[in-house]
Amino acid sequence: MLKIDHLTKHYKDTVALNDLSFEVKPGVVTGFLGPNGSGKSTTMRIILGLDHANKGRATINGTNYADLKAPLREVGALLDAKAVHPGRTARNHLRSLAASNQIKKSRVEEVLQFAGISSVANKKVGGYSLGMSQRLGIAAALLGDPQVLLFDEPVNGLDPEGIRWIREFFRSLANEGRTVFVSSHLMSEMAVSADQIIVIGRGKFITQGSVDDLTATATGSVLVRSTDPQKLTTVLEGLHGVVEDVNDHAMSVGGLTSDQIGRAAFDAGVTILELTPQRASLEEVFMDLTADAVEYGGSTLESTHRE
Amino acid sequence: MSTTRSEWIKFRSVRSTIMGFLFTFVLTIGLGALITVAIRSHWSQSGVADRLTFDAVSTSLAGTYFASFAVGVIGILFITSEYSSGSIRTTLAAVPNRVRLMLGKLIVLALSMIIVSEIVCFITFLMGQAIYSGVVPTASLSDGAVLRSVLLAGVYLTLLSVLGFAIGIILRQSGACISVFTSILLIIPLIIFFLPQSWQTSVAKYEPSALGRAMMSTSPPSADFGAWTALVVLVIYVIIVLGVGTTMLVRRDA
Repeated sequence: MLKIDHLTKHYKDTVALNDLSFEVKPGVVTGFLGPNGSGKSTTMRIILGLDHANKGRATINGTNYADLKAPLREVGALLDAKAVHPGRTARNHLRSLAASNQIKKSRVEEVLQFAGISSVANKKVGGYSLGMSQRLGIAAALLGDPQVLLFDEPVNGLDPEGIRWIREFFRSLANEGRTVFVSSHLMSEMAVSADQIIVIGRGKFITQGSVDDLTATATGSVLVRSTDPQKLTTVLEGLHGVVEDVNDHAMSVGGLTSDQIGRAAFDAGVTILELTPQRASLEEVFMDLTADAVEYGGSTLESTHRE
Repeated sequence: MSTTRSEWIKFRSVRSTIMGFLFTFVLTIGLGALITVAIRSHWSQSGVADRLTFDAVSTSLAGTYFASFAVGVIGILFITSEYSSGSIRTTLAAVPNRVRLMLGKLIVLALSMIIVSEIVCFITFLMGQAIYSGVVPTASLSDGAVLRSVLLAGVYLTLLSVLGFAIGIILRQSGACISVFTSILLIIPLIIFFLPQSWQTSVAKYEPSALGRAMMSTSPPSADFGAWTALVVLVIYVIIVLGVGTTMLVRRDA
């Protein structure tokens, strides 16, 4: 199990992590979601002992990473697939890693085989495509057959086939009872590949739960079709509902449940033709949750013109 | 031990190491041959004073001055290439104890450098004496001072390589390190040259290439340190820079 305990990290004037705490449990794929610059990579680096936290700590089964005797046998990580000496062959890269943690040489051949890069193992890594580098990174992460696996933005630069392969791969690792922790800024990706999701923004914990939990907590809107949209709008706005996209046929109502809308329409004598609660997509939930926590937000051109 | 094995695989599996050793061979042996041949062919015209101060050992090993840049670069790239490629993060994830990592790299670098440099220096020395023989007075390894000079020439190259490595830990960028290393060997002597004479005599002997000169000469000029003292001073330099580097390595984010 991976435990993040009140982590705080400053880089000069910027606060990268602000009292961040959460736990990642084994047996499931846990997605680590946040906008760019929200502190995902910093968290990963602190877990691996690469960066030092100003406060708090990250532990693997209760131990600091730096205190692990043979860390590659307990934690496998893929942070940056291109972070390999370009002049070294994949086989030599893996052999040097294996030697450092007293992992058998034969294991290098196993992971090369698994990642599907055996045929190019004697080629220099500098000539690898991003997809091949990702596969080498995965081979390196699996080298010590670790129980905890960390992947930072693993689907970046992968082709659709590679993405499917990696999703199934995460799933199988989790099914073997391992802890699988995957960061991404793409909620759509996490929605399909993760069981549990941890959301952070500006270095702060925002929420944690299953995909279903997260979409359920979000206040979805209700699609309403009625005989008299104008009248119904007035009535619902009187009840502090947020009415949007009104046209001849339908409108979207936020802030009210379908029960409340139905009763209000009955009282006002408006015939309801359709009343459908809209489930918020994970994407909407994410935008909602992190709206205040986007570090590099873009504004629309229109709004600047209005100034 | 496991860290050393891992670092040895890394050290020998990149072209920069092989190229660095190749340059060390070519510069030391090749320039050694060139210089000794030149001395031999001009010997008949040389004056009495030149002949009296002639050192058959250090002249034959003159190529080591040029090779010192090659060995420095070997040491520098051993660590800076990890930063430029980003592989330092993979390395530190595998070996989180940074002092241990530094020691592993140091052992690999120092051991392979001492073996290669001693081979190069002895070959160059013997070749130089063979070229001198018959015309120019030669030196023999059976003379203790001669053997010491040739041995220390290899040690000098090894220490310079480790110095480059230590600078690499501190600065992390290949270009910056190579400039600093080159400045130490070329610019510092130049600055000292322009100092007042009285300062020169007290300062010049501390400068690294002067230490090298003292280490590989059978009879160093009186202004320089003795060979063993020069060795100790150079070792102290290397330990200080390595100590600063290791402290920074431990404290800094990777």
